[in-house]
Amino acid sequence: MVKMSNVIYIDGLKDNYVFDLDEDTVIYHFNINKSYKVEINLNEENIRLDYYYNNINYDDNEFKIRINHNKSNTISYVYNHGVNINNNKLHYWVDGFIPKSSNNCNCNQDNQIINIHDGKSKIWPNLLVDNYDVSANHSAYIGKFKESLLFYLMSRGINRHDSYKLLLEGFLLNTDSVDREKIKDFVDEIEKI
Amino acid sequence: MLKITNLSTRVVDSDINILDKLDLEINDGEIHAIMGPNGTGKSTLAKTIMGNYQYEVIDGDITFDGKSLLKLSVDERAKLGIFLSMQDPTVIDGVSNSEFIRTAMNSVSGEKTNLYQFIKDMESNMKDLKLDTNMTHRSLNKDFSGGEKKKNEILQLKMLKPKFIILDELDSGLDVDSLKIVCKNINSYIKDNPNTSVLIITHYPRILEYIKPKFVHILKDGNIKMTGDIKLAHDIEKNGYEIVDGKDE
Repeated sequence: MVKMSNVIYIDGLKDNYVFDLDEDTVIYHFNINKSYKVEINLNEENIRLDYYYNNINYDDNEFKIRINHNKSNTISYVYNHGVNINNNKLHYWVDGFIPKSSNNCNCNQDNQIINIHDGKSKIWPNLLVDNYDVSANHSAYIGKFKESLLFYLMSRGINRHDSYKLLLEGFLLNTDSVDREKIKDFVDEIEKI
Repeated sequence: MLKITNLSTRVVDSDINILDKLDLEINDGEIHAIMGPNGTGKSTLAKTIMGNYQYEVIDGDITFDGKSLLKLSVDERAKLGIFLSMQDPTVIDGVSNSEFIRTAMNSVSGEKTNLYQFIKDMESNMKDLKLDTNMTHRSLNKDFSGGEKKKNEILQLKMLKPKFIILDELDSGLDVDSLKIVCKNINSYIKDNPNTSVLIITHYPRILEYIKPKFVHILKDGNIKMTGDIKLAHDIEKNGYEIVDGKDE
């Protein structure tokens, strides 16, 4: 039987969010030009978190997220994808914390910021691990879309502008499971980039 | 169809020269193969024809149906009907295979592709290539096996219907059965479109047993040193590329 996950769409009305989770959860966080601080507590054994943070940024902003693996056998996958439009600051602090008391946890971060112009973007991908029996991965990329990606798309006849648009959509809507009606403003904003 | 004259290239922003005064002419409906040891410029030639950003032409010209390609962008070259099946197809996360192919078809044809016909053609071509139809919705080349990536290149070829096909080391990453399937599909395409020209770039003559070239060229040190027919490929397999050096002497 497929285990169903609880699904949360962050409304963006507050600046800070704290989630205490006791079941598998998928969180979609689509943000246009705001700063946020998020803390998530995995409070039951054997639960999994998938967190999709997708961000279109115009001014100086930051995003801080901390995942606390408070119980053993917990899993987290955090995908932070941002597009920094102007020559502004965009900072991500991403902490995965596994205390000594939590065994066999799996903590993963994928952090990427695409600078459209000369944005001053920074990422701090922190794995704070106090237990030897864990699996933890993190990655961080800041830069432009790679020319190799554009070459591949253009080699099939798609012009540079449309290739870029395809890449942007793929990058910012990096999950098939999201209900696009619920993030309509965000989808519309992508068109304006 | 494609004419390369006195072509010299180098890696962009460097003094590394790769192709050196290369001449090659491929007429409508002809199949040519280029063989050569590692690092002699085979893939550079393929990428230069396509307009890859890593290489710059420092001398000579490439024309396609009489028109110089050198000032055309990559997509403009593709729209003329040039298709490069890549040695290592690029993974693009988040862009679905179907979205990509449909966008490409719209761009090449200049009109919106009929969705019903698109789905029908995709299903039929995927069946011919023995590709799982769920690959339609997966991110482009992401988590594809080596064989699936190559088959996906040929799927794009069949959907986009080019006039000039470059196969850059098609056989790498393909097992024998998959190579047969892929080559069968290419041969079927050539049979249906007899004016199509093909440039096969390969290390090994195995693929030439399935897609039979009219001419085999040996590329070494950035230039074509020998030209012959399929017997030359067999000779290379038997004796190695040293025969080229022998001829030079």
